[in-house]
Amino acid sequence: MTLSITRRSAAVFRAAMFRKAFPHPNATIIPGTTPAPGATPVPSTTTPPNTTALPSTTTARNAPTHRKPRRSGRGPQAGPRPTRPTGPLRRLLDMNLPYQLLTFAVLATCWELYAGVRGGLLLPGFAETVRATAGLLGEAELWRALYVSNQALVLGFALAVVVGVPLGTALGRFRLLERYADVHLNILLVTPMAALIPLLVMSVGVGTVSRVVLVALFSVVMVIVNSRAGVRQVDPALIEMARSFGAGERTVWARILLPAALPAVMTGVRLGLGRAVTGMVLVELLMVSDGIGGLILTYRGLLKAPQLYGTIAVILAEALLLGAAAHWAERRLARWTRPNPSRTRTARSQR
Amino acid sequence: MITIQGLSKSFTTRSGERVDALRDVSLDVGENEFLTVLGPSGCGKTTLLRAVAGLVPWDGGDIAVDGSPVRGPGPDRAVVFQNFALLPWATVLDNVAFGLRMRGVGRAERAERARSLIATVGLEGCEAKLPGELSGGMQQRVGIARALTVRPRVLLMDEPFGAVDEQTRRLLQEELLAIWEEHRMTVVFITHSMEEAVLLGDRVALMSARPGRIAEIVPVRLPRPRSRDVGGVARSGEYAEITAYLWERLRDMHAEHRPDRAHRPDEVAS
Ligand SMILES: Nc1ncnc2c1ncn2[C@@H]1O[C@H](COP(=O)(O)OP(=O)(O)OP(=O)(O)O)[C@@H](O)[C@H]1O
Ligand SMILES: [Mg+2]
Repeated sequence: MTLSITRRSAAVFRAAMFRKAFPHPNATIIPGTTPAPGATPVPSTTTPPNTTALPSTTTARNAPTHRKPRRSGRGPQAGPRPTRPTGPLRRLLDMNLPYQLLTFAVLATCWELYAGVRGGLLLPGFAETVRATAGLLGEAELWRALYVSNQALVLGFALAVVVGVPLGTALGRFRLLERYADVHLNILLVTPMAALIPLLVMSVGVGTVSRVVLVALFSVVMVIVNSRAGVRQVDPALIEMARSFGAGERTVWARILLPAALPAVMTGVRLGLGRAVTGMVLVELLMVSDGIGGLILTYRGLLKAPQLYGTIAVILAEALLLGAAAHWAERRLARWTRPNPSRTRTARSQR
Repeated sequence: MITIQGLSKSFTTRSGERVDALRDVSLDVGENEFLTVLGPSGCGKTTLLRAVAGLVPWDGGDIAVDGSPVRGPGPDRAVVFQNFALLPWATVLDNVAFGLRMRGVGRAERAERARSLIATVGLEGCEAKLPGELSGGMQQRVGIARALTVRPRVLLMDEPFGAVDEQTRRLLQEELLAIWEEHRMTVVFITHSMEEAVLLGDRVALMSARPGRIAEIVPVRLPRPRSRDVGGVARSGEYAEITAYLWERLRDMHAEHRPDRAHRPDEVAS
């Protein structure tokens, strides 16, 4: 991108130099002077017919109509942007979905081909997996498993948000609290949570409580860390401004800190949700043989590979749906971060 | 109106060094006076203003506004910030009404007063926009309107036009003067610019750095209304003379401080 821009501007520069060195005999400008940058281009209809070899007396910068339209409209580009058609096809190509579907189709084909060559009992093909998934969706067993798993997910995730958001925002605001908590938070950040599962099961048992706690543990760190970051990056000038109008700490929280931290908090909630799904499946796989994880173990034991893959596909679909919902909520609640284009771009590229 | 006596304030930097931001600053600002404060960067102008606003504690001395000692922010004072300090998630209307909201004014009255000030600063039609959709000059108009809605007796402005371009700055200066001519109030206006200090102020308080103190008070006896127009005050010889004098003093201050500024890390705070 950078390279092409440099080359382009070099070309523009050369073109300008060329015209400066060899002004066209019929050019309407005085030889030796270049038009001021931003000067209105001379409409090509006013140029005499015999000057068409050198179409315009202005620099290339000012004559976008003579250049081929550039391919993609994304990213910073020098010079005026050529208007391009905005038909339905154009709009479709501008969305991410077609590209995602395309890569998905390619991967599915590869899978199907590979399974055709090397597959067998343990590696079902793509089509077979799809069929098995459809079959599973009609079975009560799957829905019961989903219900059991999601119970732990909902409770655990709710617990993580209810604990994590207040804790994280408080940590972001109060230095002293932060000092006490920082080391523990760091431990929590680096701990492989799965290692805690045996510990939990031994102390709380194999019931729902154990699964709920584990889901909460998995996701709470993300919520805390992002909420803390959200409060920390609030512009101190805003707090000072509120105080100058007589706001106390409570008002500062309600009117400045929480609204300003909301986008970051929502990011934490979204990331936490992803971790909660991981935790949910993991605890069932490793210890508490129940729900979706339990189902996966069962199908493995019965060597029912298509169903096994189907179950995984279902859980993936759920994770994707939840993620999309969280993303949507995040963008809705943080609309104000969008109008400023530069800010949006950095926010996106971080994701 | 504002009485500052023997005000001192020092900071301890992270490296443990003590910085005398203000030492023994005494200053009186009269009722409805427009006082501009001019000084080199880091001389404590912002610290002085924040102290008067009641936003920071100080070490010694007294500040009183209208005879009552300053113990915190009060309804008699309002601040205009250099970087606007607008809520990026709130509309122009809500931003302008923010001060009133903090002061417990009801919704209907809030909207009405905010709208009238939005008109005063020339932002009609922008009520529903977000700050991110405005230019810097428009954003500071919002900041000024927000301060004015609470009808302060003292307006504290910390380099309010420092972050806008020269042309916008001139416009804003003229508009501020027009507003002030109409609704007289006490203004303390911090600036880096000699021209701005002289154009706006009844007096210019010249501050020197390290320790921050008032070096001199320069009266500006130019007639009002002041303008930059042909034949206006800004074209007069006296205007040029005061400006030149202020620059001379500032240049001397900079020269004085060059040796010890070389090994002092530049602490940024404003
Ligand atoms: N919170 C703080 N912590 C440490 N030092 C500070 C703090 N605030 C200000 N200072 C120091 O106090 C001195 C005065 O700062 P102040 O911001 O008042 O200067 P200023 O005159 O407003 O400067 P500028 O013109 O650059 O805005 C500076 O040396 C600064 O380093
Ligand atoms: Mg300052």
